Amino acid sequence: MTHHHWLDTFSRREAFGHVARATLGVGLLPAVSRQLEAAEGSGPKRAKNIIYLMMQGAMSHLDTFDPKPGREEQGETKTIQTKTPGIVFGQSLEKLASLSDRLAVVRSLSTETGAHEQGQYLMRTSYPMINSIRHPAFGSWAVHAMGKISKDLPSYVLVGNGNDHPGAGFLDPSLTPVPVADPMKGLENTKRPGYLSEENFDRRLALADRIDRDFKQRYAGRQLDAYNQLYKDAVRLMGSVDLKAFDIAQEKPAVRERYGDSKVGLGCLLARRLVESGVRCVEVEFGGWDMHRDVFEEMDEKGPQLDRAMGTLLEDLEQRGLLASTLVVLATEFGRTPRINENAGRDHHPGVFSCVLAGAGVQGGVVYGQSDEQGFRPEKDAVSVTDFNTTIAAACGLPYEKEFHAPNGRPFKIGGGGKPITGVLA
Amino acid sequence: MAMPLMKTAMPRTVTCLLVLSSLLAVGAKPNATGSAKAARAAKRAGQQQPIKLPAAVLEEPSGPVMAVAPIDRGRRTQVEKAAEGIDSLLAKQWEKHQVSASTPLNDAQFVRRIYLEIAGRIPTFDETVRFLDSKSGTKRADLIDDLLESPDYVSHTYNFWADILRLAERPQKDVFFEPYLDWVKRSIAANRPFDEWVHEMLTADGKIWENPATGYQLRDKGMPLPYVDNTVRVFLGTQIGCAQCHDHPFDSWTQHQFYELAAFTSGTRMRLGGLPAKKSGMTREEMKQASKDAREKNAEAFRQIKEISQQAQEQIRAKKADNGLRLFINANLTSVSSQTGKLLLPHDYQYDDDKPLAAVSPKVLWGEVPTDAKSEDNRGQFAAWLTSRDNRQFARTIANRMWRKVMGVGFVEPVDDFREDNPASNPELLEHLADLVLALDFDLREFVRVLVSTSTYQRRAVLHDPTSPSPFHFTGPALRRLTAEQLWDSIIVLIAHNEWPFQRPTAEAFEKLADIDLTAAGTTYAKVEKAYETFSDTYNVNRYRARLQKQYGFQGQVLARASELPTPLPLGHFLRQFGQSDRESIEGGRTVATVPQILSMFNGTITHSMLVPGSVIHDEVMSHEPKAAVDVIFVAILSHRPSPEDRSFAIAEIRSADTPQAGVGNLIWALLNTREFIFIQ
Repeated sequence: MTHHHWLDTFSRREAFGHVARATLGVGLLPAVSRQLEAAEGSGPKRAKNIIYLMMQGAMSHLDTFDPKPGREEQGETKTIQTKTPGIVFGQSLEKLASLSDRLAVVRSLSTETGAHEQGQYLMRTSYPMINSIRHPAFGSWAVHAMGKISKDLPSYVLVGNGNDHPGAGFLDPSLTPVPVADPMKGLENTKRPGYLSEENFDRRLALADRIDRDFKQRYAGRQLDAYNQLYKDAVRLMGSVDLKAFDIAQEKPAVRERYGDSKVGLGCLLARRLVESGVRCVEVEFGGWDMHRDVFEEMDEKGPQLDRAMGTLLEDLEQRGLLASTLVVLATEFGRTPRINENAGRDHHPGVFSCVLAGAGVQGGVVYGQSDEQGFRPEKDAVSVTDFNTTIAAACGLPYEKEFHAPNGRPFKIGGGGKPITGVLA
Repeated sequence: MAMPLMKTAMPRTVTCLLVLSSLLAVGAKPNATGSAKAARAAKRAGQQQPIKLPAAVLEEPSGPVMAVAPIDRGRRTQVEKAAEGIDSLLAKQWEKHQVSASTPLNDAQFVRRIYLEIAGRIPTFDETVRFLDSKSGTKRADLIDDLLESPDYVSHTYNFWADILRLAERPQKDVFFEPYLDWVKRSIAANRPFDEWVHEMLTADGKIWENPATGYQLRDKGMPLPYVDNTVRVFLGTQIGCAQCHDHPFDSWTQHQFYELAAFTSGTRMRLGGLPAKKSGMTREEMKQASKDAREKNAEAFRQIKEISQQAQEQIRAKKADNGLRLFINANLTSVSSQTGKLLLPHDYQYDDDKPLAAVSPKVLWGEVPTDAKSEDNRGQFAAWLTSRDNRQFARTIANRMWRKVMGVGFVEPVDDFREDNPASNPELLEHLADLVLALDFDLREFVRVLVSTSTYQRRAVLHDPTSPSPFHFTGPALRRLTAEQLWDSIIVLIAHNEWPFQRPTAEAFEKLADIDLTAAGTTYAKVEKAYETFSDTYNVNRYRARLQKQYGFQGQVLARASELPTPLPLGHFLRQFGQSDRESIEGGRTVATVPQILSMFNGTITHSMLVPGSVIHDEVMSHEPKAAVDVIFVAILSHRPSPEDRSFAIAEIRSADTPQAGVGNLIWALLNTREFIFIQ
């Protein structure tokens, strides 16, 4: 059976895990911690947690955060006033419109690629997808630099379809996000069957380990290391009292209703719970934005789901006193054509698109950058993906100017070496 | 189905295991203490009914599962010769680089590997013992041949192609792909030559159940440009997709070239002939005229369809019919055919070699359309060019793909990214293999037969570092984890005596219920609605899946080979957790490690299914003397007998467990959760 990518013959991230530890690990973390310590206590509050909402498939900017009222390109999407004078959003974003004073909307993003896989990879890792290296996702970097909060819970969780997620890249496998496929079901199979005592479970593990001895010795290396590491993680997770953080059934039905029963609604609710329980970074995947056909029909369905989920998330975090320490990101890989195609849809458009930031380290009520009157290209204050990601790094107090070296010697930076947008940072 | 967290009621698996304990006690040795213990345990469990495996999986299949084209055993000598040719080229390579070949596989290692490679699953206890005990001098070659003509081979190869071709029943709601999926499976069973198979996919016409090969073109319905990108990627190993929007940033393809190639196929119509199809590249005026022409030509049929569609819309709006009716009608209006049309450059074309909205003439990326195909329509010319014996890249790409399938690494990686700055790690051998593909007239099964007959393939796996600057020398196949499907199918054979309790719908069966001629005189809305209801009873996706659960499900898992399960499976399904793709991206399957996988193996229902009475491994253990239990379990799960140390250790473990039965359960669980089980060495 084939594998998609040769680097996936085994986990790509393990390819470098071992080497990374040697060349990066020893010097890296202490230095980074020192920088963080220096940053704390001075200046605006930086994010302790990150909730990253990834709209997979390329969310149309004209129908959401950057409408062009009155123009033919706008099509059937009407606009609504936000709380910010002079700023309108697409009609499906009612709640977020009323919360625009919490948001920093960047309308002038643009990117190099119009292909989903490459676009998402660039958005998540700040680097273009190439054969010879697997870059870590931002979340893995953040956890690596900021460390764990909860002892037992994973520090990085991915809610939704994470099949193509770059994960920890060349960083240690322990920085791999734990995928939760369905927020309703949470993390499954975490309980031992009732007949099996903890003692017997440990016995079984020891037995497996023992039988595996020869195999592990012969094939010691990165592929097996990933599984070895995760066995430990899995066992620790099973024993943790904090597991209930993954169970959204613990929430009052009224709370669930506010978020909405969509994948993104439940995902956001789970994200809030996890952040509350000490998960450093939660990424929520929400797909279905690749609206090549019937964009207005599709937006009528997806838009309100996103609106309700993200709006409620912001309110909920604020109510619980978490918004000041949590950075919320709404990202997508590129935008969609202003021109409506013959299937009443919009096609891929890397030329210009919108993303949103809110929470810790971010100024609310800001709209940064402008696209031209069509929504075709940036007109003012163009922002690259690396600029955007460096801004996120800055909001988290991460050392975005520091140069790290990949095992193949190439230099890279958290955020990809862009310029942080001072206009949106608090 | 996984149980929700923090449920307070006693999980059902408790009962399973307790019942198992008592049954084992009864089977092994009549033991009053044992039964009394079990009885008390059962009482504690609340006297619930034992969970039974579905009846269909408990009995061996009564007849052959499917017809598979036989292997020509008479070609054995040629196969060996071809294998030797490959081995000697590799030996040259090894000598040149001063590396030595990996250890040859012993029989136990070989039997496991070859079953996984060809049949997509581990061998059963009986199959392993039979092979290990055989004294025949040709047993390996015999086994290879046997497996290559087995239904298991078809199932496993189907999974391979399903991942590449993004096979799913309803990736687009208004096209029903079931016939296409069945056709892929049967093409494999009939061992269609690869070039003919691809040619058919690229040129097929008609409704999908009339001509299932149309499924390939329909997969990218509405997206004629990505269709070209995907086709060139899959069959020519070349990525031109970037050039759809601009000159390729780091390869030589220009946007103009992309459009020239797309001009061959972008004219394909996907809606029933005679109806105006919205086509990219047409100006508004042209579309209007095309609509007018079509309408006049088929006025009556058009009127009828319009009427039926409108009535359907009204009924749906009035909630007297569900939306599936609309999809059923659209599926019956979907039909692939040629259409002569022009492809225009995009309105924002920015290069000075041509103007925006200029028409492009079809032109191939390299070489020429074969002379004898020049009189065919555009699609025919494109297909002839792509699959031609003279198009070296076609043979080269499939040779590289199949090599990677078998050896774990291609000469060019990724296999769909041949580029000048991405040269083959062993160009001589790659060309040799391309020659072999041509010599075998694109018989891929025969090609695999040669590859697995090499002595190189029959060596222990070697660690492969994709990031190492030095190329992989294939001193042995690369160490790989089992794919999601291999793992699932292996576990299924440990549970089910019959892993083929059902098969996916055939094109014929599907056509009977799906097809209705909307253009035929006398077709009324009422007839269409009735036809839809009958269709929906059987093939509505939810109803179909629910029926499978009911008849073949065990605690939420339908117990059948992965190739027969409807896709994509839900995200939390075992197969998805272990990396099976959602069939939305080409080769989306992954073998990356995640925590949920491990939790599934530790605590999931599929692992515990094995310990239920009626499961294969349970019955296997039961049918042997208790003291043979350890060996039986090792052979059944890891395909080898335990080393003396492991045997003593395991026996000691069983003796020191709460009950011998619990100890046996521990051992089964432990072996399933070794790394050795999930990797192929």
